[in-house]
Amino acid sequence: MPDLKPFLVLGFALGGVFAMSGVGLVVLYRATGVLNLAYGAIGATGALITWSLLDAGWVPDWVAYLACIVFGGAATLLYGVLFGPPFSARDPLVKATATLGLLLILLGAMQWVWGRDPHGITLPTSRWNYDLFDARVSGTQVIGVVFAIVVTTGTAVFLRVTKVGTAMRALADDREITATLGVPVRRVEAAAWLGSGLVCGGAGLLLSNLVGLDIVGLTFLVIPALAAALIGRLHSLWVTLAAGFLIGIVQSSLTAFSEVAEYRTLTPFVLAILALLWFATRRRQTPAGSSR
Amino acid sequence: MSEPDVQASDEERAPLAATPASTLPRGEAVPPETIRGLRPRRDPVRVLVGAAALAFVTFGLPGMIDRFWLQIVTSVVIYSIVTLGLGLLIGRAGMVSLCQFLLLAIGAWVALRLDFATSLPFPLLVLSAGVVTGLIGALIGLPALRLSGLYLALITLMAAGAITVVLRIAQFPNGGGGFFGNSAAGGASSRLPRPAIATGDTAYFRYCIAVAVLMFLLALWHVRGKPGRAWAALRQSQATAIAAGVNVTLYRLWAFALASFMAGVAGALLAAASGGVNINQFPVQNSILLLAVVLMGGVYSLGGAVVAALLLRLLPALLDDWGVSTELLTILFGVGILQVLLTAPGGLVDQVPKDLANLGRGLRRLVGPRRAGDEAPPP
Repeated sequence: MPDLKPFLVLGFALGGVFAMSGVGLVVLYRATGVLNLAYGAIGATGALITWSLLDAGWVPDWVAYLACIVFGGAATLLYGVLFGPPFSARDPLVKATATLGLLLILLGAMQWVWGRDPHGITLPTSRWNYDLFDARVSGTQVIGVVFAIVVTTGTAVFLRVTKVGTAMRALADDREITATLGVPVRRVEAAAWLGSGLVCGGAGLLLSNLVGLDIVGLTFLVIPALAAALIGRLHSLWVTLAAGFLIGIVQSSLTAFSEVAEYRTLTPFVLAILALLWFATRRRQTPAGSSR
Repeated sequence: MSEPDVQASDEERAPLAATPASTLPRGEAVPPETIRGLRPRRDPVRVLVGAAALAFVTFGLPGMIDRFWLQIVTSVVIYSIVTLGLGLLIGRAGMVSLCQFLLLAIGAWVALRLDFATSLPFPLLVLSAGVVTGLIGALIGLPALRLSGLYLALITLMAAGAITVVLRIAQFPNGGGGFFGNSAAGGASSRLPRPAIATGDTAYFRYCIAVAVLMFLLALWHVRGKPGRAWAALRQSQATAIAAGVNVTLYRLWAFALASFMAGVAGALLAAASGGVNINQFPVQNSILLLAVVLMGGVYSLGGAVVAALLLRLLPALLDDWGVSTELLTILFGVGILQVLLTAPGGLVDQVPKDLANLGRGLRRLVGPRRAGDEAPPP
């Protein structure tokens, strides 16, 4: 049995970011019915902007880091304001497909501006190292875990307690009735887009640190987050959080077993398929659209 | 095949399983010419023009272009089989698959592996690559078929990621041992030997056209027959389809397997094309580019598949030739997805003739005000 501790630590950190991204996806999906497949691309673009700002050295470092989060929020909000309303009455599948358009636009722009060479960001927190159970833990990894739990708890409390959160839950049930009740539907949706986008920017910044700033790689890191969201049935924040951690830990631990180490990035797919099979045995013939 | 059924299914088409009203820009009634334009075209003139164009491309074109462009055009033909399958899946069955591009790779892999393991003739290799890929595609779709279309799309996106990972490890067979049949000594690219009747580039181009025509006929047969009607019913309302006795799971699975079969067939053809195949040809983002071009080409007519393949293979080569960055094309395709979903559900095949007609009308009005006056109703 190989020593799993270092991989567990890294897995927790990765899982935290997957979980956080998954929660961002689920919140937006619940409020607007849009599953944002461009989530990874937005985070990656934000991280590249941060890299450029750091590289140019025009602004203090913390402004550059903030820029990634702000870009995530701004880009997501802009898409939501422009394309949310025209697609609002459409099938969730169409809404998700439309975000693939955003993904391609951002991917093309990134490859055009930043080329195909890898870049790198090192957050100052990555230099803070601790020893935990014989494993090195960096500050960024701790932030990844803590942030995921804070974001999930914060979102759950927000949805339960605040007026906007209540409106979002109402929107998730029925947009038309919510509008009839006098809820400013578009403003509430905009809030969901912004919140989800800010989390996305944060996740992009952390992931660019934890797994490297690779354009295509980061863009398709939406896949493990999607798997986590899918296991949470695109509804439950807590199951998504747990699934994100599970995916991160399993994927990272597999690194220790040389026979399967190469295949470890299949983890999200395999776990999501298993979850779907389990759903399928518990539920017969779901009418289209009722899975929201 | 009964006539009214086909027409009903064609008039009430809706992309991606949306309700018919929502496929149009908001606040617009269905313009009559849309419905007329979307009816199955049985016009003998059109059929003749199509046949003449096909004959020209098959026999005239290879003599007019050099070897490089012949390779590009061959790949356009091969890719039109993939876009045909995906177009059927989206436009007819109302499902979205994001792993078609990787299924193409699987088709190529299976054909190569079978070629190294057996001595099957080329047409059988192509057929078995199609069947195996169809089965794999059906297996991928199976867990999500009972859930909504969104789940299926997500599973296929994850499958695309997963296949990419496995492909990077396994590589294409190049004569090595073991199940994967790859050895480092064999080189990065693998190429399937061509059939004896089509060893040259021009002959192989014609061979691909023949296979593509067969696939288009297969698609036409499905669309006009019982599966087409079942898919049309499913797309309108699953509950109604069940009430009408349509086996929902079977027909969805069939659509998925058919699209995968076509991807597999195309994969086998691709493996024998010039240069063969290597894993760098199959990056995961191409699955999304494929979806974009299929939507842009038009998912409601079989001609859209050809336009999609031209967008995917010919346009990048042309841009490269003119020194324009191909990354811009990715951006354009992204805009294309949004544009098609928002305002032009029929894609380019449907939109361009309409826009040209509008432009022509506008120009006539601009140039000849007197003629515009002629159209005014008599007092």
